[in-house]
Amino acid sequence: MEFTIRAATLEDCKDISRMILELAEYEKVSDQVKIAQRDLEQDGFSKNPFFHGIIAEVPEHLKSKEGHTKVGYSLYFYTYSSWKGRAVYMEDLYVMPEFRGKCIGKALMSKVSQLGLAAGCSQLNFTVLDWNKSSLDFYLKQGCWDVTSDLGYHCMRCEGDALEHLAQGDL
Amino acid sequence: MASFILRKAEPKDVSDILRLIKELAKFEEMEDQVILTEKDLLEDGFGDHPFYHCIVADVPKQHQSADSHVIIGFAMYYFTYDPWIGKLLYLEDFYVMKEFRGFGIGSEILKKLSQTAVRTRCSSMHFIVAEWNKPSIDFYKRRGASDLSLEEGWRLFKIDKQNLLKLLAILHAVQNGSTAERFV
Repeated sequence: MEFTIRAATLEDCKDISRMILELAEYEKVSDQVKIAQRDLEQDGFSKNPFFHGIIAEVPEHLKSKEGHTKVGYSLYFYTYSSWKGRAVYMEDLYVMPEFRGKCIGKALMSKVSQLGLAAGCSQLNFTVLDWNKSSLDFYLKQGCWDVTSDLGYHCMRCEGDALEHLAQGDL
Repeated sequence: MASFILRKAEPKDVSDILRLIKELAKFEEMEDQVILTEKDLLEDGFGDHPFYHCIVADVPKQHQSADSHVIIGFAMYYFTYDPWIGKLLYLEDFYVMKEFRGFGIGSEILKKLSQTAVRTRCSSMHFIVAEWNKPSIDFYKRRGASDLSLEEGWRLFKIDKQNLLKLLAILHAVQNGSTAERFV
């Protein structure tokens, strides 16, 4: 299939927002999405962006059933390992269902990897859900390792009231 | 020992930051994994687009450590993004030297970080903890943290540079087998 991989622009935020919601709807958690198109525009395309985006686009004659040519995306940002230095974190990787099986996902991941290496990063990090066996197997075969499984590192979160209490020093 | 200040790290602090990073790594039995240098810390933390931010805990000279250090704790953090909820603060490292624990320094650092998170409109603070590190897990759970790995099944994956290059080679081979795609 013919497709292009390119850096996301401000104009892509409408489609990125659409695809974020598609993914959330598929996971039956669309009520958890609090971010709108204008948040993406502000957070990703101002002077100090909090993320960067890559878009997968098909030509007009291959557009989706609903008429979309932007059919996949990845969101990533730079992080820092206190052991190894610069790293890149792939936060989202999504391809619309009707465009899967055509290496678009692999191409998006490849682009994030290239950009990370070019920026001097020595590792690419991301999370995978433990029920997603096909993805887990794919990544393990590529030489990735499961830090949670191998080193026992758990991802923790402090949010909402807990965060507010911490900020107020309610310990 | 009551007096300490928390302040934003400055370029002159990189030697102490690296020392504390190594101490924490030693505690995690990972000291040999630290390949970061003072030069990296300087370049990556104090340029136009820093990769990280750092707070340090500074005690007066009369309270310096047994081996004469006045920077006795630190936290390294940066901002990340969740496309569902927006900005997050990610706590990469958080450490207070053993002889200075129990004085509320760790709690104050956490409070300062949380204030930063709230002020910059982050909806959450994320970090990782080793599952064997029971005191830390209890410390965080007491403060309302939830374990996403246990509760939601998230596993953290990592690819290092060597395997990243191998992955790129594989992906390129796959893509060259596909029809007419191009990279811009």
